[in-house]
Amino acid sequence: MVVALALPLVVPAIITAVLWLLPGDPAEIICPPEICDGTEALAASFGLDKGPAQFYLRWITSAARGELGNSWRIMQGFPVAELIWESLPTTALLALMALVPLTFGGVAAALGWLSSRLDAVWQAVGLAPAVILALVCAAFVEINFGARSYDGVAGWLRLGLGAGVLALADGALAATVMGTRASFEEEVKQRYIQIARLRGESAVANALPNLLPALVGQTRARVLHILSGTVVVEVVLGIPGLGELLFDGTLAQDFGVVLAATWAFSLLSALLLLGQAGVEVAVALWVRRAPRLAELPA
Amino acid sequence: MNRRTAALLLAAALLAALLAATAVAPPYLSVPVPERAYLGPFEAPPFGLDERGVPLHEIALQGAAIVTVPAILSGLLVMVLATFAGLVRCAGIGWVDGVIQVGSELVGALPRLVVVLVVALLLPKEWKVLLPIGLAWAVLAAPGAMDEAAAYAGRIGGARFVEALRAHGFSRWRIYGYHVIWLNLRPVIVRQGAEVTMQVVFLEIALSYLALRQNEPSFTHADSEFSWASLLYKGYTALLGVPLLHALWLGLALVAAVAILAQSVRYAARAR
Repeated sequence: MVVALALPLVVPAIITAVLWLLPGDPAEIICPPEICDGTEALAASFGLDKGPAQFYLRWITSAARGELGNSWRIMQGFPVAELIWESLPTTALLALMALVPLTFGGVAAALGWLSSRLDAVWQAVGLAPAVILALVCAAFVEINFGARSYDGVAGWLRLGLGAGVLALADGALAATVMGTRASFEEEVKQRYIQIARLRGESAVANALPNLLPALVGQTRARVLHILSGTVVVEVVLGIPGLGELLFDGTLAQDFGVVLAATWAFSLLSALLLLGQAGVEVAVALWVRRAPRLAELPA
Repeated sequence: MNRRTAALLLAAALLAALLAATAVAPPYLSVPVPERAYLGPFEAPPFGLDERGVPLHEIALQGAAIVTVPAILSGLLVMVLATFAGLVRCAGIGWVDGVIQVGSELVGALPRLVVVLVVALLLPKEWKVLLPIGLAWAVLAAPGAMDEAAAYAGRIGGARFVEALRAHGFSRWRIYGYHVIWLNLRPVIVRQGAEVTMQVVFLEIALSYLALRQNEPSFTHADSEFSWASLLYKGYTALLGVPLLHALWLGLALVAAVAILAQSVRYAARAR
Protein backbone atom coordinates (compact mmCIF):
# COMPACT_ATOMS: atom_id res chain seq x y z
CA MET A 1 0.00 0.00 0.00
CA VAL A 2 2.81 2.40 0.97
CA VAL A 3 4.67 1.50 -2.23
CA ALA A 4 1.50 2.13 -4.27
CA LEU A 5 1.06 5.59 -2.80
CA ALA A 6 4.76 6.47 -2.99
CA LEU A 7 5.41 5.24 -6.53
CA PRO A 8 3.85 8.17 -8.50
CA LEU A 9 5.72 10.62 -6.25
CA VAL A 10 9.08 8.87 -6.14
CA VAL A 11 9.46 8.03 -9.85
CA PRO A 12 9.41 11.66 -11.15
CA ALA A 13 11.58 12.70 -8.17
CA ILE A 14 14.28 10.19 -9.14
CA ILE A 15 14.17 11.18 -12.83
CA THR A 16 14.35 14.88 -11.93
CA ALA A 17 17.25 14.31 -9.52
CA VAL A 18 19.24 12.31 -12.08
CA LEU A 19 18.50 14.89 -14.78
CA TRP A 20 20.21 17.55 -12.67
CA LEU A 21 23.03 15.23 -11.64
CA LEU A 22 23.99 14.68 -15.27
CA PRO A 23 26.78 16.80 -16.67
CA GLY A 24 25.53 20.01 -18.29
CA ASP A 25 22.45 22.17 -17.91
CA PRO A 26 19.05 20.49 -18.52
CA ALA A 27 17.98 23.50 -20.59
CA GLU A 28 20.87 22.86 -22.99
CA ILE A 29 19.30 19.52 -23.87
CA ILE A 30 16.29 21.32 -25.35
CA CYS A 31 18.32 24.09 -26.88
CA PRO A 32 22.05 23.35 -27.23
CA PRO A 33 23.86 26.77 -27.14
CA GLU A 34 26.03 25.87 -30.16
CA ILE A 35 22.98 25.55 -32.41
CA CYS A 36 20.38 27.85 -30.87
CA ASP A 37 20.08 31.01 -28.77
CA GLY A 38 17.54 31.82 -26.13
CA THR A 39 18.43 28.90 -23.88
CA GLU A 40 17.65 30.99 -20.79
CA ALA A 41 14.23 32.00 -22.05
CA LEU A 42 13.44 28.38 -22.89
CA ALA A 43 14.65 27.26 -19.46
CA ALA A 44 12.27 29.75 -17.86
CA SER A 45 9.33 28.62 -19.99
CA PHE A 46 9.96 24.93 -19.14
CA GLY A 47 10.50 25.70 -15.43
CA LEU A 48 14.11 24.58 -15.51
CA ASP A 49 15.64 27.83 -14.25
CA LYS A 50 14.88 27.45 -10.54
CA GLY A 51 16.60 24.16 -9.79
CA PRO A 52 15.45 20.54 -9.37
CA ALA A 53 13.32 20.97 -6.23
CA GLN A 54 11.24 23.80 -7.73
CA PHE A 55 10.94 21.94 -11.05
CA TYR A 56 9.75 18.76 -9.29
CA LEU A 57 7.26 20.55 -7.05
CA ARG A 58 5.87 22.54 -9.96
CA TRP A 59 5.67 19.44 -12.16
CA ILE A 60 4.04 17.19 -9.56
CA THR A 61 1.43 19.79 -8.55
CA SER A 62 0.60 20.39 -12.22
CA ALA A 63 0.46 16.61 -12.78
CA ALA A 64 -2.07 16.32 -9.95
CA ARG A 65 -4.24 18.72 -11.97
CA GLY A 66 -3.74 16.69 -15.14
CA GLU A 67 -1.18 19.04 -16.72
CA LEU A 68 2.01 17.16 -17.58
CA GLY A 69 4.06 19.95 -19.10
CA ASN A 70 5.16 20.29 -22.70
CA SER A 71 7.17 18.11 -25.04
CA TRP A 72 10.85 19.13 -25.24
CA ARG A 73 11.75 17.52 -28.55
CA ILE A 74 9.19 15.21 -30.23
CA MET A 75 6.59 17.96 -30.67
CA GLN A 76 8.31 20.89 -28.98
CA GLY A 77 5.90 22.96 -26.91
CA PHE A 78 2.95 20.59 -27.42
CA PRO A 79 1.15 19.56 -24.18
CA VAL A 80 2.32 16.08 -23.19
CA ALA A 81 -0.98 15.32 -21.43
CA GLU A 82 -2.71 15.32 -24.82
CA LEU A 83 -0.11 12.89 -26.22
CA ILE A 84 -0.59 10.64 -23.18
CA TRP A 85 -4.40 10.74 -23.36
CA GLU A 86 -4.27 9.92 -27.06
CA SER A 87 -2.01 6.90 -26.57
CA LEU A 88 -3.20 5.54 -23.21
CA PRO A 89 -6.47 3.91 -24.42
CA THR A 90 -4.62 1.98 -27.14
CA THR A 91 -2.09 0.60 -24.66
CA ALA A 92 -4.83 -0.21 -22.15
CA LEU A 93 -6.79 -2.06 -24.85
CA LEU A 94 -3.68 -3.92 -25.99
CA ALA A 95 -2.89 -4.99 -22.41
CA LEU A 96 -6.49 -6.07 -21.77
CA MET A 97 -6.57 -8.09 -24.99
CA ALA A 98 -3.29 -9.76 -24.01
CA LEU A 99 -4.75 -10.66 -20.63
CA VAL A 100 -7.63 -12.60 -22.24
CA PRO A 101 -5.59 -15.66 -23.36
CA LEU A 102 -3.59 -15.51 -20.13
CA THR A 103 -6.77 -15.55 -18.04
CA PHE A 104 -8.23 -18.42 -20.06
CA GLY A 105 -4.93 -20.30 -19.73
CA GLY A 106 -4.87 -19.76 -15.95
CA VAL A 107 -8.51 -20.83 -15.50
CA ALA A 108 -8.05 -23.89 -17.72
CA ALA A 109 -4.92 -24.88 -15.77
CA ALA A 110 -6.71 -24.43 -12.43
CA LEU A 111 -9.64 -26.57 -13.55
CA GLY A 112 -7.31 -29.22 -14.95
CA TRP A 113 -8.49 -28.74 -18.55
CA LEU A 114 -4.94 -28.13 -19.79
CA SER A 115 -2.73 -31.20 -19.59
CA SER A 116 0.71 -30.69 -18.05
CA ARG A 117 2.08 -32.49 -21.12
CA LEU A 118 1.39 -29.28 -23.06
CA ASP A 119 3.67 -27.28 -20.73
CA ALA A 120 6.65 -28.06 -22.97
CA VAL A 121 4.77 -26.40 -25.87
CA TRP A 122 4.08 -23.19 -23.90
CA GLN A 123 7.68 -23.15 -22.68
CA ALA A 124 9.06 -23.65 -26.19
CA VAL A 125 6.89 -20.84 -27.60
CA GLY A 126 7.80 -18.67 -24.60
CA LEU A 127 11.49 -18.90 -25.46
CA ALA A 128 10.87 -16.66 -28.46
CA PRO A 129 11.57 -13.00 -27.66
CA ALA A 130 8.75 -10.52 -28.21
CA VAL A 131 10.69 -8.70 -30.93
CA ILE A 132 10.91 -11.84 -33.11
CA LEU A 133 7.23 -12.74 -32.79
CA ALA A 134 6.24 -9.11 -33.34
CA LEU A 135 8.43 -9.02 -36.44
CA VAL A 136 6.66 -12.05 -37.91
CA CYS A 137 3.27 -10.48 -37.16
CA ALA A 138 4.33 -7.14 -38.68
CA ALA A 139 5.46 -8.96 -41.84
CA PHE A 140 2.12 -10.78 -42.03
CA VAL A 141 0.18 -7.50 -41.79
CA GLU A 142 2.43 -5.64 -44.23
CA ILE A 143 2.35 -8.45 -46.82
CA ASN A 144 -1.44 -8.74 -46.67
CA PHE A 145 -2.46 -5.12 -46.14
CA GLY A 146 0.53 -2.98 -47.15
CA ALA A 147 3.23 -1.24 -45.15
CA ARG A 148 1.16 1.87 -44.40
CA SER A 149 -2.01 0.08 -43.28
CA TYR A 150 -2.87 1.27 -39.79
CA ASP A 151 -6.65 1.75 -39.93
CA GLY A 152 -9.67 -0.50 -40.20
CA VAL A 153 -9.10 -4.26 -40.34
CA ALA A 154 -5.32 -3.87 -40.53
CA GLY A 155 -5.32 -1.68 -37.42
CA TRP A 156 -7.37 -4.19 -35.45
CA LEU A 157 -5.22 -7.03 -36.78
CA ARG A 158 -2.11 -5.23 -35.54
CA LEU A 159 -3.74 -4.88 -32.12
CA GLY A 160 -4.89 -8.51 -32.02
CA LEU A 161 -1.57 -9.91 -33.16
CA GLY A 162 0.24 -7.58 -30.74
CA ALA A 163 -1.89 -8.90 -27.89
CA GLY A 164 -1.10 -12.46 -28.99
CA VAL A 165 2.61 -11.68 -29.01
CA LEU A 166 2.43 -10.17 -25.52
CA ALA A 167 0.59 -13.24 -24.25
CA LEU A 168 2.94 -15.79 -25.81
CA ALA A 169 6.39 -14.20 -25.89
CA ASP A 170 9.00 -14.29 -23.12
CA GLY A 171 7.25 -17.13 -21.32
CA ALA A 172 4.13 -15.18 -20.25
CA LEU A 173 1.59 -17.92 -21.04
CA ALA A 174 3.90 -20.69 -19.80
CA ALA A 175 4.40 -18.89 -16.48
CA THR A 176 0.67 -18.27 -16.09
CA VAL A 177 -0.40 -21.83 -16.86
CA MET A 178 2.34 -23.51 -14.83
CA GLY A 179 2.20 -21.00 -11.95
CA THR A 180 -1.57 -21.27 -11.56
CA ARG A 181 -1.53 -25.05 -11.81
CA ALA A 182 1.30 -25.35 -9.28
CA SER A 183 -0.55 -23.07 -6.82
CA PHE A 184 -3.76 -25.12 -7.09
CA GLU A 185 -1.97 -28.47 -6.95
CA GLU A 186 -0.20 -27.39 -3.76
CA GLU A 187 -3.39 -26.08 -2.17
CA VAL A 188 -5.57 -29.11 -2.92
CA LYS A 189 -3.14 -31.24 -0.91
CA GLN A 190 -4.27 -29.35 2.23
CA ARG A 191 -6.40 -31.19 4.76
CA TYR A 192 -9.38 -28.79 4.54
CA ILE A 193 -9.67 -29.49 0.81
CA GLN A 194 -9.69 -33.23 1.42
CA ILE A 195 -12.46 -32.80 4.01
CA ALA A 196 -14.38 -30.57 1.59
CA ARG A 197 -14.07 -33.28 -1.03
CA LEU A 198 -15.47 -35.85 1.43
CA ARG A 199 -18.41 -33.49 1.91
CA GLY A 200 -18.94 -33.53 -1.84
CA GLU A 201 -17.81 -29.93 -2.34
CA SER A 202 -15.65 -28.64 -5.17
CA ALA A 203 -11.93 -28.49 -4.43
CA VAL A 204 -11.45 -25.41 -6.65
CA ALA A 205 -14.28 -23.47 -5.00
CA ASN A 206 -12.76 -24.15 -1.57
CA ALA A 207 -9.19 -23.41 -2.58
CA LEU A 208 -9.93 -20.25 -4.56
CA PRO A 209 -10.55 -17.82 -1.66
CA ASN A 210 -7.28 -18.84 0.00
CA LEU A 211 -5.36 -18.67 -3.25
CA LEU A 212 -6.89 -15.43 -4.45
CA PRO A 213 -4.28 -13.06 -2.96
CA ALA A 214 -1.45 -15.12 -4.47
CA LEU A 215 -3.24 -15.33 -7.83
CA VAL A 216 -3.87 -11.58 -7.85
CA GLY A 217 -0.17 -11.04 -7.09
CA GLN A 218 0.75 -13.29 -10.02
CA THR A 219 -1.71 -11.43 -12.26
CA ARG A 220 -0.15 -8.10 -11.27
CA ALA A 221 3.26 -9.45 -12.24
CA ARG A 222 1.81 -10.58 -15.61
CA VAL A 223 0.27 -7.16 -16.25
CA LEU A 224 3.62 -5.48 -15.51
CA HIS A 225 5.27 -7.96 -17.88
CA ILE A 226 2.69 -7.10 -20.55
CA LEU A 227 3.13 -3.35 -20.02
CA SER A 228 6.89 -3.82 -20.35
CA GLY A 229 6.39 -5.71 -23.61
CA THR A 230 4.06 -3.07 -25.06
CA VAL A 231 7.09 -0.90 -25.86
CA VAL A 232 8.52 -3.52 -28.24
CA VAL A 233 5.19 -4.65 -29.69
CA GLU A 234 3.86 -1.14 -30.29
CA VAL A 235 7.00 0.07 -32.07
CA VAL A 236 7.43 -3.05 -34.25
CA LEU A 237 3.74 -3.33 -35.14
CA GLY A 238 3.24 0.43 -35.47
CA ILE A 239 0.57 0.66 -32.77
CA PRO A 240 0.34 4.27 -31.52
CA GLY A 241 0.38 3.63 -27.76
CA LEU A 242 2.11 4.75 -24.61
CA GLY A 243 5.03 2.36 -25.16
CA GLU A 244 5.78 3.81 -28.58
CA LEU A 245 5.52 7.33 -27.16
CA LEU A 246 7.97 6.45 -24.38
CA PHE A 247 10.42 4.87 -26.83
CA ASP A 248 10.24 7.85 -29.20
CA GLY A 249 10.76 10.17 -26.23
CA THR A 250 13.80 8.18 -25.13
CA LEU A 251 15.36 8.18 -28.60
CA ALA A 252 14.75 11.90 -29.01
CA GLN A 253 15.94 12.67 -25.42
CA ASP A 254 12.56 14.28 -24.75
CA PHE A 255 12.57 14.40 -20.95
CA GLY A 256 9.14 16.04 -20.92
CA VAL A 257 7.56 13.06 -22.68
CA VAL A 258 9.60 10.43 -20.83
CA LEU A 259 8.83 11.98 -17.44
CA ALA A 260 5.10 12.05 -18.17
CA ALA A 261 4.97 8.60 -19.81
CA THR A 262 6.93 7.03 -16.94
CA TRP A 263 4.63 8.76 -14.49
CA ALA A 264 1.63 7.31 -16.35
CA PHE A 265 3.20 3.84 -16.10
CA SER A 266 3.90 4.40 -12.39
CA LEU A 267 0.23 5.39 -11.89
CA LEU A 268 -0.86 2.18 -13.63
CA SER A 269 1.51 0.19 -11.42
CA ALA A 270 0.20 1.96 -8.33
CA LEU A 271 -3.38 1.14 -9.34
CA LEU A 272 -2.40 -2.50 -9.75
CA LEU A 273 -0.79 -2.52 -6.30
CA LEU A 274 -3.89 -0.91 -4.79
CA GLY A 275 -6.09 -3.49 -6.56
CA GLN A 276 -3.97 -6.29 -5.12
CA ALA A 277 -4.16 -4.75 -1.63
CA GLY A 278 -7.95 -4.36 -2.03
CA VAL A 279 -8.36 -8.03 -2.89
CA GLU A 280 -6.18 -9.06 0.06
CA VAL A 281 -8.28 -6.92 2.43
CA ALA A 282 -11.53 -8.27 0.94
CA VAL A 283 -10.37 -11.88 1.38
CA ALA A 284 -9.28 -11.18 4.96
CA LEU A 285 -12.69 -9.62 5.72
CA TRP A 286 -14.46 -12.54 4.09
CA VAL A 287 -12.49 -15.02 6.16
CA ARG A 288 -13.31 -13.07 9.34
CA ARG A 289 -16.99 -13.11 8.46
CA ALA A 290 -16.99 -16.90 8.20
CA PRO A 291 -19.35 -18.40 10.82
CA ARG A 292 -17.76 -19.48 14.08
CA LEU A 293 -17.94 -23.15 14.95
CA ALA A 294 -20.48 -22.50 17.74
CA GLU A 295 -22.86 -20.86 15.23
CA LEU A 296 -22.79 -23.80 12.86
CA PRO A 297 -25.80 -26.11 12.91
CA ALA A 298 -25.17 -29.37 14.73
CA MET B 1 27.44 -39.77 -21.99
CA ASN B 2 24.31 -38.79 -20.08
CA ARG B 3 21.98 -35.92 -20.99
CA ARG B 4 23.37 -33.61 -18.33
CA THR B 5 26.91 -33.98 -19.67
CA ALA B 6 25.66 -33.48 -23.23
CA ALA B 7 23.87 -30.27 -22.16
CA LEU B 8 27.00 -29.08 -20.38
CA LEU B 9 29.17 -29.74 -23.44
CA LEU B 10 26.69 -28.00 -25.73
CA ALA B 11 26.56 -24.97 -23.41
CA ALA B 12 30.35 -24.87 -23.18
CA ALA B 13 30.68 -25.07 -26.97
CA LEU B 14 28.16 -22.28 -27.57
CA LEU B 15 29.73 -20.08 -24.89
CA ALA B 16 33.19 -20.69 -26.32
CA ALA B 17 31.88 -19.76 -29.78
CA LEU B 18 30.39 -16.52 -28.43
CA LEU B 19 33.60 -15.60 -26.61
CA ALA B 20 35.71 -16.46 -29.66
CA ALA B 21 33.42 -14.32 -31.84
CA THR B 22 33.81 -11.47 -29.36
CA ALA B 23 37.60 -11.81 -29.46
CA VAL B 24 37.88 -11.81 -33.26
CA ALA B 25 35.12 -9.27 -34.02
CA PRO B 26 36.40 -6.56 -36.39
CA PRO B 27 36.16 -2.99 -35.06
CA TYR B 28 34.78 -1.80 -38.43
CA LEU B 29 32.95 -3.57 -41.25
CA SER B 30 34.68 -4.17 -44.60
CA VAL B 31 34.35 -1.61 -47.35
CA PRO B 32 31.01 -2.20 -49.17
CA VAL B 33 31.19 -3.79 -52.63
CA PRO B 34 27.83 -2.86 -54.22
CA GLU B 35 28.32 -5.14 -57.25
CA ARG B 36 28.46 -8.17 -54.90
CA ALA B 37 25.32 -7.14 -52.98
CA TYR B 38 22.74 -9.78 -51.99
CA LEU B 39 25.06 -12.72 -52.70
CA GLY B 40 23.97 -15.81 -50.76
CA PRO B 41 26.07 -18.08 -48.53
CA PHE B 42 27.06 -20.35 -51.44
CA GLU B 43 28.40 -17.51 -53.61
CA ALA B 44 30.00 -15.62 -50.68
CA PRO B 45 30.71 -18.00 -47.79
CA PRO B 46 30.17 -18.35 -44.90
CA PHE B 47 26.89 -16.41 -44.57
CA GLY B 48 26.60 -14.27 -47.70
CA LEU B 49 26.51 -10.50 -48.16
CA ASP B 50 24.00 -7.77 -47.39
CA GLU B 51 22.42 -5.14 -49.67
CA ARG B 52 25.70 -3.15 -49.74
CA GLY B 53 27.93 -6.16 -50.35
CA VAL B 54 29.19 -6.31 -46.76
CA PRO B 55 29.82 -9.83 -45.37
CA LEU B 56 27.12 -10.84 -42.90
CA HIS B 57 29.57 -12.79 -40.75
CA GLU B 58 31.26 -9.52 -39.81
CA ILE B 59 27.92 -8.19 -38.54
CA ALA B 60 27.39 -11.45 -36.63
CA LEU B 61 30.84 -11.11 -35.02
CA GLN B 62 30.29 -7.46 -34.10
CA GLY B 63 26.87 -8.36 -32.66
CA ALA B 64 28.50 -11.04 -30.50
CA ALA B 65 31.05 -8.51 -29.27
CA ILE B 66 28.26 -6.10 -28.30
CA VAL B 67 26.27 -8.61 -26.23
CA THR B 68 28.55 -11.31 -24.82
CA VAL B 69 30.41 -9.61 -21.97
CA PRO B 70 27.53 -7.35 -20.73
CA ALA B 71 25.07 -10.28 -20.85
CA ILE B 72 27.39 -12.60 -18.92
CA LEU B 73 28.15 -9.91 -16.31
CA SER B 74 24.43 -9.21 -15.89
CA GLY B 75 23.77 -12.92 -15.39
CA LEU B 76 26.57 -13.10 -12.83
CA LEU B 77 25.15 -10.10 -10.95
CA VAL B 78 21.78 -11.84 -10.64
CA MET B 79 23.50 -15.03 -9.49
CA VAL B 80 25.41 -13.12 -6.79
CA LEU B 81 22.26 -11.36 -5.55
CA ALA B 82 20.22 -14.59 -5.57
CA THR B 83 22.99 -16.40 -3.66
CA PHE B 84 23.04 -13.57 -1.13
CA ALA B 85 19.26 -13.82 -0.59
CA GLY B 86 19.46 -17.61 -0.19
CA LEU B 87 22.30 -17.33 2.32
CA VAL B 88 20.48 -14.63 4.29
CA ARG B 89 17.44 -16.89 4.60
CA CYS B 90 19.63 -19.78 5.73
CA ALA B 91 21.56 -17.62 8.17
CA GLY B 92 18.24 -16.45 9.65
CA ILE B 93 19.10 -12.73 9.55
CA GLY B 94 15.54 -11.44 9.79
CA TRP B 95 16.11 -7.72 9.26
CA VAL B 96 18.19 -8.22 6.08
CA ASP B 97 15.46 -10.55 4.81
CA GLY B 98 12.92 -7.78 5.50
CA VAL B 99 15.03 -5.14 3.72
CA ILE B 100 15.38 -7.46 0.71
CA GLN B 101 11.61 -7.94 0.55
CA VAL B 102 10.85 -4.20 0.73
CA GLY B 103 13.55 -3.50 -1.88
CA SER B 104 12.12 -6.21 -4.12
CA GLU B 105 8.64 -4.71 -3.80
CA LEU B 106 9.92 -1.27 -4.82
CA VAL B 107 12.14 -2.44 -7.69
CA GLY B 108 9.52 -4.83 -9.03
CA ALA B 109 6.70 -2.29 -9.00
CA LEU B 110 7.41 -0.78 -12.43
CA PRO B 111 7.48 -2.44 -15.88
CA ARG B 112 11.12 -3.40 -16.52
CA LEU B 113 11.46 -2.02 -20.03
CA VAL B 114 10.09 1.35 -18.89
CA VAL B 115 12.84 1.58 -16.27
CA VAL B 116 15.45 0.43 -18.79
CA LEU B 117 14.37 3.17 -21.22
CA VAL B 118 14.63 5.78 -18.48
CA VAL B 119 18.12 4.48 -17.64
CA ALA B 120 19.03 4.63 -21.33
CA LEU B 121 17.77 8.21 -21.52
CA LEU B 122 19.65 9.33 -18.44
CA LEU B 123 22.97 7.75 -19.43
CA PRO B 124 25.57 10.21 -20.69
CA LYS B 125 26.40 9.74 -24.39
CA GLU B 126 29.83 8.26 -23.73
CA TRP B 127 28.22 5.48 -21.60
CA LYS B 128 25.83 4.42 -24.34
CA VAL B 129 26.84 0.77 -24.33
CA LEU B 130 24.93 -2.33 -23.32
CA LEU B 131 26.66 -2.89 -19.96
CA PRO B 132 24.83 -0.29 -17.81
CA ILE B 133 21.52 -1.16 -19.47
CA GLY B 134 22.16 -4.88 -18.95
CA LEU B 135 23.11 -4.32 -15.32
CA ALA B 136 19.96 -2.25 -14.81
CA TRP B 137 17.95 -5.13 -16.28
CA ALA B 138 19.75 -7.53 -13.94
CA VAL B 139 18.91 -5.36 -10.92
CA LEU B 140 15.27 -5.32 -12.02
CA ALA B 141 15.26 -9.08 -12.52
CA ALA B 142 17.06 -9.71 -9.23
CA PRO B 143 14.02 -9.45 -6.89
CA GLY B 144 12.37 -12.45 -8.57
CA ALA B 145 15.59 -14.45 -8.47
CA MET B 146 16.28 -13.47 -4.85
CA ASP B 147 12.74 -14.31 -3.83
CA GLU B 148 12.95 -17.73 -5.49
CA ALA B 149 16.37 -18.50 -3.99
CA ALA B 150 15.19 -17.42 -0.53
CA ALA B 151 12.01 -19.49 -0.84
CA TYR B 152 14.06 -22.49 -1.94
CA ALA B 153 16.42 -22.00 1.01
CA GLY B 154 13.36 -21.78 3.26
CA ARG B 155 11.98 -25.04 1.87
CA ILE B 156 15.17 -26.95 2.64
CA GLY B 157 14.86 -25.80 6.26
CA GLY B 158 16.57 -22.39 6.27
CA ALA B 159 18.29 -21.68 9.58
CA ARG B 160 17.31 -25.11 10.98
CA PHE B 161 19.09 -26.81 8.07
CA VAL B 162 22.25 -24.85 8.87
CA GLU B 163 21.87 -25.65 12.57
CA ALA B 164 21.58 -29.36 11.79
CA LEU B 165 24.75 -29.25 9.69
CA ARG B 166 26.55 -27.35 12.45
CA ALA B 167 25.60 -30.13 14.83
CA HIS B 168 27.49 -32.49 12.52
CA GLY B 169 30.57 -30.34 13.13
CA PHE B 170 30.87 -29.00 9.57
CA SER B 171 32.77 -25.76 8.98
CA ARG B 172 30.94 -22.59 7.85
CA TRP B 173 32.49 -22.83 4.40
CA ARG B 174 31.35 -26.42 4.00
CA ILE B 175 27.83 -25.63 5.24
CA TYR B 176 27.21 -22.50 3.19
CA GLY B 177 29.52 -23.06 0.23
CA TYR B 178 28.98 -26.75 -0.35
CA HIS B 179 25.69 -27.86 1.22
CA VAL B 180 23.61 -24.69 0.82
CA ILE B 181 24.92 -23.14 -2.40
CA TRP B 182 26.44 -25.99 -4.39
CA LEU B 183 24.11 -28.83 -3.48
CA ASN B 184 20.82 -26.95 -3.01
CA LEU B 185 20.72 -23.42 -4.40
CA ARG B 186 22.79 -24.14 -7.53
CA PRO B 187 19.89 -25.11 -9.85
CA VAL B 188 17.88 -21.99 -8.97
CA ILE B 189 20.82 -19.60 -9.10
CA VAL B 190 22.28 -20.93 -12.35
CA ARG B 191 18.85 -20.98 -14.03
CA GLN B 192 18.16 -17.39 -13.02
CA GLY B 193 21.62 -16.30 -14.20
CA ALA B 194 21.22 -18.10 -17.52
CA GLU B 195 17.77 -16.59 -18.06
CA VAL B 196 18.96 -13.06 -17.36
CA THR B 197 21.96 -13.56 -19.67
CA MET B 198 19.56 -14.61 -22.44
CA GLN B 199 17.16 -11.77 -21.65
CA VAL B 200 19.93 -9.16 -21.87
CA VAL B 201 20.92 -10.45 -25.33
CA PHE B 202 17.28 -10.31 -26.42
CA LEU B 203 16.94 -6.85 -24.84
CA GLU B 204 19.86 -5.58 -26.91
CA ILE B 205 18.34 -7.05 -30.06
CA ALA B 206 14.95 -5.49 -29.23
CA LEU B 207 16.32 -2.04 -28.40
CA SER B 208 18.60 -1.94 -31.45
CA TYR B 209 15.83 -3.20 -33.71
CA LEU B 210 13.41 -0.56 -32.43
CA ALA B 211 16.04 2.16 -32.94
CA LEU B 212 16.73 0.92 -36.48
CA ARG B 213 13.03 0.94 -37.22
CA GLN B 214 12.82 4.59 -36.14
CA ASN B 215 16.01 5.42 -38.11
CA GLU B 216 17.80 6.51 -34.95
CA PRO B 217 21.15 5.40 -33.45
CA SER B 218 20.90 2.67 -30.82
CA PHE B 219 21.80 3.38 -27.21
CA THR B 220 23.43 -0.03 -26.78
CA HIS B 221 26.42 0.37 -29.09
CA ALA B 222 28.43 2.87 -31.11
CA ASP B 223 27.19 3.95 -34.55
CA SER B 224 30.16 2.21 -36.18
CA GLU B 225 29.08 -1.18 -34.78
CA PHE B 226 26.28 -3.43 -35.98
CA SER B 227 24.08 -5.50 -33.72
CA TRP B 228 22.36 -8.82 -34.49
CA ALA B 229 19.24 -6.67 -34.78
CA SER B 230 20.54 -5.33 -38.10
CA LEU B 231 20.58 -8.91 -39.44
CA LEU B 232 16.93 -9.25 -38.45
CA TYR B 233 16.18 -5.80 -39.84
CA LYS B 234 17.78 -6.66 -43.18
CA GLY B 235 16.20 -10.11 -43.08
CA TYR B 236 12.78 -8.61 -42.49
CA THR B 237 12.96 -6.97 -45.89
CA ALA B 238 13.29 -10.50 -47.33
CA LEU B 239 9.73 -11.17 -46.22
CA LEU B 240 8.70 -8.18 -48.33
CA GLY B 241 10.54 -9.42 -51.43
CA VAL B 242 14.18 -8.27 -51.04
CA PRO B 243 16.66 -11.18 -51.63
CA LEU B 244 18.09 -11.17 -48.10
CA LEU B 245 16.53 -14.30 -46.66
CA HIS B 246 20.01 -15.52 -45.68
CA ALA B 247 20.30 -12.53 -43.30
CA LEU B 248 17.02 -13.48 -41.66
CA TRP B 249 18.10 -17.10 -41.20
CA LEU B 250 21.41 -16.01 -39.72
CA GLY B 251 19.71 -13.60 -37.31
CA LEU B 252 17.18 -16.23 -36.22
CA ALA B 253 19.93 -18.86 -35.85
CA LEU B 254 21.87 -16.54 -33.54
CA VAL B 255 18.76 -15.87 -31.43
CA ALA B 256 18.10 -19.63 -31.30
CA ALA B 257 21.74 -20.31 -30.32
CA VAL B 258 21.44 -17.95 -27.36
CA ALA B 259 18.15 -19.57 -26.28
CA ILE B 260 19.73 -23.04 -26.60
CA LEU B 261 22.76 -21.88 -24.61
CA ALA B 262 20.56 -20.67 -21.75
CA GLN B 263 18.45 -23.84 -21.77
CA SER B 264 21.54 -26.07 -21.86
CA VAL B 265 23.07 -24.28 -18.87
CA ARG B 266 19.77 -24.59 -17.05
CA TYR B 267 19.48 -28.30 -17.89
CA ALA B 268 23.08 -29.04 -16.91
CA ALA B 269 22.64 -27.35 -13.52
CA ARG B 270 19.23 -28.78 -12.61
CA ALA B 271 18.77 -30.77 -9.40
CA ARG B 272 19.47 -34.50 -9.57
